[in-house]
Amino acid sequence: MTVKDSAKPARKPPSMTARADDEFRERLIAAIGTDGVKTAVEDRASYAFDAFSEGGLPAAVVLPKDARDVSAIVRIARSCGRPVVPRGAGTGLCGGSVPPDGGVVISFARMNRVLAFDARQRRARVQPGLANLELSNRVAGAGFFFGPDPSSQKTSTIGGNTATNAGGPHAFAYGSMSAHVLGLEFVDDAGEVLRVSLDDAGYDLTGSLVGSEGTLGIVTAIDVRLLRVPSAIRVCVAAFGDVEGASEAVSAIVAAGLTPTALEIIDRTIVQAVEAHFHSGFPLDAGAVLLVEIAGEPADVEAWERTIAGVSREHGALSWRSATSARERDALWASRKGAAGALGRISPNYYIQDATVPRTKLPLATRRVEEIARACGLQVGNVFHAGDGNLHPLLLFDRRIPGQLEAVAHAGHDILAACIELGGTISGEHGIGSEKRETLPLVFDERDLATMARLREVFDVTRSFNPDKIFPSGAVCGEVRAAQAAVPAGAWL
Amino acid sequence: MVVTLGARAPGAVHAPRDAAELATLLRACDDAGHAVVLFGGNTLQALGNVPARYDVAIDLRGLDRILVHEPRDLTIAVEGGVTLAALDAALAAHGQFVPLDAPQPALATVGGTLASGWLGPRRATYGRPRDFVIGTTVALADGTIAKAGGMTVKNVSGYDLSKLYVGSLGTLGAIVRANFKTLPLPEARRIAVATLPEGTRARAIANVSALDIEPAAALVVRGFASDIDGRDGLDGRMLVLFEGSARTIERGTRALRSALGAAGIPETRLIDREVASAFARVLDAYVARLGDRSATYRSAGVASDTGSCVEAFARAARTRGLALETIEDVRTGDTIARVSSALTAEFAERIASFEGERRERLPGARVLAAPQAVRALLDAWRDEPPALAKMRALKERFDPRGTLAPGRFVGGI
Repeated sequence: MTVKDSAKPARKPPSMTARADDEFRERLIAAIGTDGVKTAVEDRASYAFDAFSEGGLPAAVVLPKDARDVSAIVRIARSCGRPVVPRGAGTGLCGGSVPPDGGVVISFARMNRVLAFDARQRRARVQPGLANLELSNRVAGAGFFFGPDPSSQKTSTIGGNTATNAGGPHAFAYGSMSAHVLGLEFVDDAGEVLRVSLDDAGYDLTGSLVGSEGTLGIVTAIDVRLLRVPSAIRVCVAAFGDVEGASEAVSAIVAAGLTPTALEIIDRTIVQAVEAHFHSGFPLDAGAVLLVEIAGEPADVEAWERTIAGVSREHGALSWRSATSARERDALWASRKGAAGALGRISPNYYIQDATVPRTKLPLATRRVEEIARACGLQVGNVFHAGDGNLHPLLLFDRRIPGQLEAVAHAGHDILAACIELGGTISGEHGIGSEKRETLPLVFDERDLATMARLREVFDVTRSFNPDKIFPSGAVCGEVRAAQAAVPAGAWL
Repeated sequence: MVVTLGARAPGAVHAPRDAAELATLLRACDDAGHAVVLFGGNTLQALGNVPARYDVAIDLRGLDRILVHEPRDLTIAVEGGVTLAALDAALAAHGQFVPLDAPQPALATVGGTLASGWLGPRRATYGRPRDFVIGTTVALADGTIAKAGGMTVKNVSGYDLSKLYVGSLGTLGAIVRANFKTLPLPEARRIAVATLPEGTRARAIANVSALDIEPAAALVVRGFASDIDGRDGLDGRMLVLFEGSARTIERGTRALRSALGAAGIPETRLIDREVASAFARVLDAYVARLGDRSATYRSAGVASDTGSCVEAFARAARTRGLALETIEDVRTGDTIARVSSALTAEFAERIASFEGERRERLPGARVLAAPQAVRALLDAWRDEPPALAKMRALKERFDPRGTLAPGRFVGGI
């Protein structure tokens, strides 16, 4: 966990004087208009954060209306030597959208439209600032939905989801963003507006841009694949004695070749916070709850539920209940997706880790997480995408207690190391951002990273798109900053 | 293995046994300025242009080990030279599969299939091969061995370079290892076959496209009788593949029969045994050649709207005295078109003339299979992508000396 030390004065290249800042802002205003450029320090300061990290103070925050605006912004930033950082809703948890001092943040708040919807071809073209859930809502009437559904989906944007290759509970059945993005329009480092598509001849640049965390280009439109709403959907809740037991059941369900559309585990700590907040009917006495969604033809859903319930009981499920109405089903999902937000009730601060392991390693991984947290003197809550082996331990702490933040940083790192040891990796859906860049070398060796850097050089020679992200600082970027964390109360996962 | 491409034959053929040997070999070629073409099962080498230079063929079939298979994780890692049949067998033993759907699985390799960017008919249901690749290891032209991704089904750790290698036709690096996520095999499968009387095709396609229970694949086949059905093959038929639970397949079949009945097609024959091999025969037809007197194209279109594409092929073929056979993929919009002449002697002249019109009307069509003698006539890339400059830059970074199949890819990359 690398978080900015607020006691240290911000470091800014010597060329970025106050006068240069003013000049930069004036040029932006001239290009896209006063209403598209935020210059006041109090406005800019709020863009120094995402949902977890704190970055620098941007020289300007811009709100383009279209790709032409984005192109102009990139050209001006380039000629002024300013880093460019794209930003969706700022719900990220690893610093992917926080700017360096003196940079320009491109907010897509005004580019939030559905540009085209083709029911026959089951695709839509959307602007990056469109909220994820809004897309599903907009196509629901025609019987479609958008597959990836990060828990932040009410606010997080399709653009941000694209940058982080977001997943969510339903990635288990439908895959992460990269399986749903069919093409992109983006602005390159020269300010050129380019289009790439899976339908085009040549290299799959679309797939390479998804998950690149804004370091290769600034995406201005996204072609997405839409899915047909299944004819029947059922959400079931099973109670288990503990997380490990629930994880065993998940491994068994997956290994048995059963195909529910979501498999989520919520432990007692989180269930209690969630129930106090949402009252959606999760069993309070369970050590862990398994949320299972099954979708398909009605008769199949019936049959699959019986089988999955059977496997769950064999693996220690204490109870099994299925939501009978759409309302009950929605309530269960709402509380699952709002879980982190409910945590404010039980802990002043929390830190959400994101890591993945091969699915059979889940029980082992959850045990390791518990041991690590205990060793660091922290309480841990678990709410995660079990079907995908995607862990989200929440380390609960109180930053006012001296030493707790350091303990969290320590535990966070150890959890990643443990997951790597189990054959996993350090991010399943949140990305590397600035928080995990120093951990990336635990997963990839120098040759791997150098090969990735070749791609970076094709798109962004000067490393001005979202600099200091993904790649470890190495010799280039100076010291790792550590110390005080800025943890907001209502973060997502 | 015949390693001639067009009129070009390499000076040497090497067959490394592992990634390290391959990397050394590539490095040596790169240093010596020798152009390299990578070979798997040699089933899709007709894709792309004949390379501008070609000195060394590297046969990757020696990299044939299954590296990691943890069935309970629903993942598998294999070397690039593993055949699709071997991959299928390893997975089927545990009730799993990866929907790659490429022709000639006993010959085709995993690395070659990925590099070819192959897209099969079941992708509308399950996704593209690229969506199942969770990690790769490649050997670059300079001998660097580099990995991306990993063995987890979700992963956002560094760039997803695997996407670049899939569909790169061996111009960026050699895929020495591919990690897949797998799917459980469907509970049951069935192929429904209906003969389409004259004038029922369009209605049949429209009705099948509107089915509530969507088939895993739906193909309208004209010709290819000897390839798919043996002697008894009928011209003009629809093959519908259902996969899922037996009860849903049963319901799907009833709905299909009534949809086809409404289109004026009275009878539907069901294949419930050896469905996999029946479906594999259809896929094999995609690259099946009639001696040296046929060429096969794939043209991408819009789902349920393959008619205009077939019509364009038909017009071009008719005026050149070429016979046309087609497979229309209702769910993906692909059209497979095989043109042939009765005599090999006349084929070269006719196909050259056909190509003139094909380039105009169907610039995005790709050659899947053709005799080496006419390869040079078939210009593969008439549809340069808008981001071609970025692709050139990419090639320049990954293979600065142009060692890997120079000139084969779009824009002469």
